[in-house]
Amino acid sequence: MSVNDTSAVIQIDQLTKQYGEFTALDSLSMQVEQGQIMGFIGPNGAGKTTTIKILVGLLKPTSGGARIAGADCLTESRKIKKLVGYMPDDFGKYNNMRVSEYLDFFGAVYGIARKPRLIRVDEVLEIAGATYMKDLFVDALSRGMQQRVALARTMMHDPEVLILDEPANGLDPQARIDMRTLLLKLSDMGKTLIVTSHILPELARVCDVVAMITKGKLRAFGTVDSIMKDIQQRRTFEIQLLKRESVVDATKSVQNWLDQQADQEKGGPGKATGAEAEQMVRFNTSLADDALAPLLAQLVQQGQPVSQFREVTTDLEDAFLHVANEEQASDISAGPTQVAAS
Amino acid sequence: MNPVIRREFVGILRSPRAFGMLACLTLVFSIAVLMRWPSDASVDLSGLQSLQVFRIFGYGLMTGVIFLVPAFPATSLVNEKNSGTLALLLNSPMNGASIYLGKISGVLLFSLLVLLCSLPASAACYAMGGIGGDKFFFLYLVLGLLALQYSTLGMLISSYVQSSDSAVRLTYAAVFGLLFISLLPDAFFRGTGVGGDLAAGMGDWIRNLSPLPAIMEIMGQGSVGSFGLRTLPGLSNFVLLATLSSAGLACWTVARLNHRIFDLSRSKGVITDDRSAMSRLVRRLVYIVDPQRRKGGIPWYLNPVMVKEYRCRRFGRAQWLLRLVSVCAVTSMVLTYMAATGITSWGVETIGALLVLLQVLLVIVLAPSLGSGLISGERDSGGWELLRMTPISSFRLVFGKLMSVVWTLLLVLMATLPGYVMMVAIAPELTLQVQQVLVCLLWTSIYALAISAAVGSLFRSTAVSTSITYVAVISIFLLPLLVWLGRDAPFGFQTVQTALMTTPVGAALSVIEAPGFESYELLPASWWVAGVLSSLMFFVLGVQVWRLTRAV
Repeated sequence: MSVNDTSAVIQIDQLTKQYGEFTALDSLSMQVEQGQIMGFIGPNGAGKTTTIKILVGLLKPTSGGARIAGADCLTESRKIKKLVGYMPDDFGKYNNMRVSEYLDFFGAVYGIARKPRLIRVDEVLEIAGATYMKDLFVDALSRGMQQRVALARTMMHDPEVLILDEPANGLDPQARIDMRTLLLKLSDMGKTLIVTSHILPELARVCDVVAMITKGKLRAFGTVDSIMKDIQQRRTFEIQLLKRESVVDATKSVQNWLDQQADQEKGGPGKATGAEAEQMVRFNTSLADDALAPLLAQLVQQGQPVSQFREVTTDLEDAFLHVANEEQASDISAGPTQVAAS
Repeated sequence: MNPVIRREFVGILRSPRAFGMLACLTLVFSIAVLMRWPSDASVDLSGLQSLQVFRIFGYGLMTGVIFLVPAFPATSLVNEKNSGTLALLLNSPMNGASIYLGKISGVLLFSLLVLLCSLPASAACYAMGGIGGDKFFFLYLVLGLLALQYSTLGMLISSYVQSSDSAVRLTYAAVFGLLFISLLPDAFFRGTGVGGDLAAGMGDWIRNLSPLPAIMEIMGQGSVGSFGLRTLPGLSNFVLLATLSSAGLACWTVARLNHRIFDLSRSKGVITDDRSAMSRLVRRLVYIVDPQRRKGGIPWYLNPVMVKEYRCRRFGRAQWLLRLVSVCAVTSMVLTYMAATGITSWGVETIGALLVLLQVLLVIVLAPSLGSGLISGERDSGGWELLRMTPISSFRLVFGKLMSVVWTLLLVLMATLPGYVMMVAIAPELTLQVQQVLVCLLWTSIYALAISAAVGSLFRSTAVSTSITYVAVISIFLLPLLVWLGRDAPFGFQTVQTALMTTPVGAALSVIEAPGFESYELLPASWWVAGVLSSLMFFVLGVQVWRLTRAV
């Protein structure tokens, strides 16, 4: 996917932000198509909030640029404010205000006329599934209810792009499922979404594309599947045996076979380990499924009591940990570095 | 040692704010003594010069205690409650009394530090001769009890409120109530025959809740509001009342320090429109503007930020303001009527001065409370980021916020208008004076608002901005009056005139010819000073808002 693809709603090009000597963002480039949900993940202090704040015009980049629906985030802040709905991690509540008054206020601030504003309040509450909260005090709501109201506020001016910072933070499982459904609903409405979250399985379920960022650098970008393939080049397999005493022999056989295939493996031969208590042999390899078929045939021929031969599924969390661990390993070899303070 | 005492005291000692306060106080005390230190070779056998120094020193110390002490206990419990650490303490083996003792000891140790800062100046004052050691003892006794009384009061208020800024606001309001308003019943009832001896006796006791009569007695200035040669026992009564009230307040607060302090479920709010017909009718009668009725949208001609400020305020909402204004209007009319019909021996000037002081007091209590959190409140609640994300301009944002306070203060200004109208009706020759007084009061409001908004915008936390703004506004408005208290000695006419010129309150009192203010010519210079300083403050606010809204 080219960075200069003009069909993209959000285009980030070589975005860099420096605070003195410290680089919070380092030449970040990516893009999001209309109607897509982009998951923006990275450890604390990675530069996610800095990126978001530049996108919504609250921070200026040191170099590089970003455009949302053709508007320059740096120079056309008024346009950007109308195009983007931003939901920060911090709710931003006002005491003693009812939900309808809260939404009415933000509608008025966005310059929506009174009559359409009152209709819009009902609409966004309906979308967010918060109609019943209309007359309740904002500060008396639970965290999950407040998140719904915050989402309703973000949609008040009907923005093309929604940027949601940790929308699932602090929510119970049911509220998280509701939030996920809501995000998909917004995507169906044609909205483009950027969502940051630490709850990665949640993101994996709703996101079309994922950007992984650590220490201000983009480490991976693409669909969840493509990222898995790129990052998790080695897959893990498990061979379940019927007898415990067969584990040692089966492990040796698998390791011999993997050593024989070393020339086809990326990054050296795979490694097999046996777990007698579980009656299982585990191994990792970069070989494709068709290349692995002879291994199973060989084990059966040798009379190993194989009951199951399965791949251990990896998820976004594994991929993220892989990236973070790689980064940590390079840090240890490079010595101490500063931590981002975004 | 009680771990809470250690943490509280060390916490205060580590605070740069506390250090700054102590350093400033030490400097001020030293300068006060140096100013009146004899520079010629003659010996003052009468001890008059040392008495002058002692008065400046005593009043200065009292002002220090009044301004600095209440802020710490006021935020002490509420901050602990909001940060969740009070729950942890209540879950520990410590009981409510030990927690209370720990917290109040921290505050009192700080007060002790404030008083200790004055010891070198006090010793220098004593060395000048003419002042007995007993006077110093009684001064420190009264100030120590004052610190104890205000600390226990602040802690009690802190245990009830839900936010630190309302704690600071209510505590300072209560402190001013004790300081000034407690003097009024005695001044009103004594010698007038209204209410009989019982009312006069009650008024006398209430008067002693204020430290002013006791301090004035120690300073050898008779007593505030004394009639002729008769003086009332101020010191002993104050000691008794302060001790009893402190003990009572402390017991009350300790009784609140248990799990029930968290047993507050915030009502999600039943809107008036959804209540029964009877309830709707009652609310219609009780509330002039019902805060719980369903609102229509914000109309196009109103600044949305201004409307939001009104709606999300607990304090200063229309229904309370209207009640306050009604009470003030009735009080001002009653006072003027009584002066006119000879029920009291007070002249129209005294009544005029009372009206001015009543209004200034309201402005001083209201303006910092409403103005200091305009920016810091938004930053505290996370609303600032949201507002920055909207297309509203910085100017409209600030204008809306300022107007929400301006309308409130205008309403307060109108509170005593009926009194002035009656005054003009009784004495038409006062028309010009009354007009000038009203202009002075308008300037007072603008000036107080400008200081509150500008000083408050410099801080991120609402609690800090409210405390510092109160100290700033009170200092600017009341310090010139303290200088006036020392007129003739130790301050000369010119010094007092210059000091009074810095605030429109002095000008208002001088225009209405309040006793003691008749000889000062403060207009129009005072208006100019207020105008220039207000513009400067609004400029500071503008710069700060620009700084906070730009992308960096």
